[in-house]
Amino acid sequence: MALRRVVYNVTRTPEMAPGGSLVHAPIVPVQGEGVEVHEDIAGEHMLINIGPQHPATHGVLRLVLELDGETVVRCIPHIGYLHSSFEKLGEYRDWNQVVPLTDRMDYLAPLIYNCCYAMAVEKLMGIEVTERCKVVRVICMELDRIFSHLLWLGTTAIDLGAFTVFLYTFQERERIYDLHESLTGARITTSSTRIGGMMADLPAGWIEQLQKFVDTFPRTLDEVETLLTNNSIWIGRTQGVGVMSAEEAINFGLSGPNLRASGVTYDIRKDRPYYDYETYDFDVPVGEHGDIYDRYLCRMEEMRQSLRILQQAIRRLPGGPINVDDPRVILPPKTAAMNDMESMIHHFKVVMEGVRAPVGESWFSVESSKGELGMYVVSDGGAKPVRWRVRGPSFINIAALPHMIEGALLSDVIAVNASLDIVLGEIDR
Amino acid sequence: MASDNDSFKKGLEGLEAGGPRSPQEAEGPPPPAGGLPPHPSVDALRARFGDAVLRHELVAGDEHVVYVDRARSHEILAWLKDEPGHEYDFLQDLTAIDYGNGRTLQVVWQLWSISNKLNLRVKVEVPLDDLAVESVYHLWRASDWLEREVFDMFGVVFRGHPDLRRILMPYNYAEGHPLRKDFPLRGRFSRAEQTRRALSQKTEDHYSPRELEIAHLLGQTLPDPFNKGETGSQQGQFGGMGGGG
Amino acid sequence: MGLNEGGLPIHNQQGGGQAPEGGIFSGQPSFLTTRLDAVVNWARTNSLWPMPFGTACCAIEMMATAASRYDLARFGMERMSFSPRQADLLICAGRVSYKMAPVLRKIWEQMPEPKWSISMGACASTGGVFDVYSMVQGIDTIIPVDVYVPGCPPRPESLIYGILLIQEKIRNSNPTGRQEWRATDILPPGESALPDHVVERITSPFGSSTSQNRPSGLVPTGAVVRPTDRRP
Repeated sequence: MALRRVVYNVTRTPEMAPGGSLVHAPIVPVQGEGVEVHEDIAGEHMLINIGPQHPATHGVLRLVLELDGETVVRCIPHIGYLHSSFEKLGEYRDWNQVVPLTDRMDYLAPLIYNCCYAMAVEKLMGIEVTERCKVVRVICMELDRIFSHLLWLGTTAIDLGAFTVFLYTFQERERIYDLHESLTGARITTSSTRIGGMMADLPAGWIEQLQKFVDTFPRTLDEVETLLTNNSIWIGRTQGVGVMSAEEAINFGLSGPNLRASGVTYDIRKDRPYYDYETYDFDVPVGEHGDIYDRYLCRMEEMRQSLRILQQAIRRLPGGPINVDDPRVILPPKTAAMNDMESMIHHFKVVMEGVRAPVGESWFSVESSKGELGMYVVSDGGAKPVRWRVRGPSFINIAALPHMIEGALLSDVIAVNASLDIVLGEIDR
Repeated sequence: MASDNDSFKKGLEGLEAGGPRSPQEAEGPPPPAGGLPPHPSVDALRARFGDAVLRHELVAGDEHVVYVDRARSHEILAWLKDEPGHEYDFLQDLTAIDYGNGRTLQVVWQLWSISNKLNLRVKVEVPLDDLAVESVYHLWRASDWLEREVFDMFGVVFRGHPDLRRILMPYNYAEGHPLRKDFPLRGRFSRAEQTRRALSQKTEDHYSPRELEIAHLLGQTLPDPFNKGETGSQQGQFGGMGGGG
Repeated sequence: MGLNEGGLPIHNQQGGGQAPEGGIFSGQPSFLTTRLDAVVNWARTNSLWPMPFGTACCAIEMMATAASRYDLARFGMERMSFSPRQADLLICAGRVSYKMAPVLRKIWEQMPEPKWSISMGACASTGGVFDVYSMVQGIDTIIPVDVYVPGCPPRPESLIYGILLIQEKIRNSNPTGRQEWRATDILPPGESALPDHVVERITSPFGSSTSQNRPSGLVPTGAVVRPTDRRP
């Protein structure tokens, strides 16, 4: 069955006729730059649809594949099935009221989003949080990195057929759910940071609970490794699949373990450190082949390194106040607000009028579990943002999916999709 | 309250200082760099492009923002990407800001150089009656979907982008561009109307123009929501979607 | 199909003048039919196959409910059916956008009778935090819902309580009765089963979202309201 390669030029913007209908423009074969369409002389290609409701798309992602038998000739992803306009909604919310919105974007690592947003606004306002708050936020972010990677591990394994791993990782996640719940009251939608600090200090016994988790978690990780890392089926399905070279990965804007698996050493915690990350002793795993197996190894090792950071953070956790002592942003203690007039008025003003940010803008990015999470906040001097932009890493990572799977088999599509560790809340925002 | 009036006025001042109303009103020669900490790329840009570099600002303590002329934005960005010593090979973000009230829209490129560890934000001011900018698709592929999103949310057309269509909203979304300040939060149509429009679409009909072209080429007929309304009577108020099909 | 005074369809109309007299399947409850009902309902209750229509954060809680700690297998529901053709309980977990609405409708229509639905979470029930241009303000405008589980996201225990309510509903239902069907089961193609004014009423903003506006004190919203726009 011969394939004749014809190069077409599809470099036109579709024209919409008045009334909204699309005008078909003829696609003309050209030499040189264009889009290849493989014409199958003997058989027929098939256009199939995966999703948006599908167990293995990790959310409401829709992939339209042009298949030649089992080989993917072209993949066109469609997103937007979960578009909840967080960015527009953020313009109608006070600075602190935006925090609950941040949980619902990446619901697999909510504390990272909470922290990143608070850090961006604090940068805008020029607020430096207390030492204790910094360490607590580092603990929160590393804990949620493990949280997110565990879910990634479970769902990727189950996509490739290994069901047991899913149960193990979810059991570990339940322990992190317990930690979330003691810290913030909610399992997933934590909303734990505020501008200038956290919503509350660590409850009694939380550090001991965290220490117990950190001490016993490596055992589960080892057990999962024995199930997967040297498993010939796993290796067969993941090595050499979904390869991205380093230059391509940078050009496509990949970040996080996806980029590092291709050999690029870019980790924001090392390159633009925040919250004293340069004083923590940890390594960043970097792969070399850029395939699914390397991404898997990077994420497994990242979990271990996060444990290292957690151990150090627990040891160095200082005392002192968790919230910065700035009456513009922080509510007075409840006993004071109930007892003296001035504090009550202060409390009233901060709650009713909202925290005010100076005119300006700020971009802040952290190393989230999925990649580079950036928050861009623009203020016009008021209590609500003029523009709140979230640079969700998964949005840019998934755009590289067609590049990775064109030419691969259909079953590899699911594997590569899983390996990118996407979360649709962040893609569609 | 009096204090609110003061902060109102101060806020307005901040707004005015934030950007000129249109590129024509921009200051002539850029101010001398003495007031701001130097950024190697900005100085090099000024040396190379002269007055296409309109303004250089420092925001949030350490973030360098440079405003450039819209006509030469692609040239400047290409230079920033390829010039040795600068090599901004990683496009962190591409977005737009609509301040509202008739103020020009800003298109923002946030750049990072992995090898040189430099951050830079490049902005272009776009007038509301001519929302178009050169695309950087062939510089950074990351801009593929980022530009589509800016088109979808703000209506900015990126010239040279091979496949500029909506990405987050349905392809035939008729209510406008959501993140514009003149777009109400709950949309323009009533909920009943939005529900009806949503339910009248067939799920398989959401194909992109490129897929339709491919199917057209392969001789495969796909349901085509964009051209279904050619039957005439079913078009009109539904803007191209042929109703229940 | 009757409508009550609020304009909403009345479900589960039973009895009525259509049943002929006598016989086991006459529609009149008898000793045998109630025993048969109990057996059929018992079977249906204890092996519900859920169709997880998970979109967002609630889907993660649904997965946690199915995992080891809040085991759904106790209720016979560990066999999550991803094909609607083999499912009987649609659990819509997560926010549904207008782009996703026809997909939800199609999945619901593909499920064979008898089928029930749970709207899990605040977003699926009423739109939740997202009273915005792109979100469906409650999936009951799209498909008929049996049980609403509030929460954002609801804890696994809440979801399990919702499932127990469905089981109770099934146990109290009347499968051998001739009128055992729901008024909204025949969904009109391409549009909502609810009339427009009902959709407007149940999707109108309530609580604090009525005062959603954007006066940051400095710049008015500038929203251009056209005559055909909805009023907030």
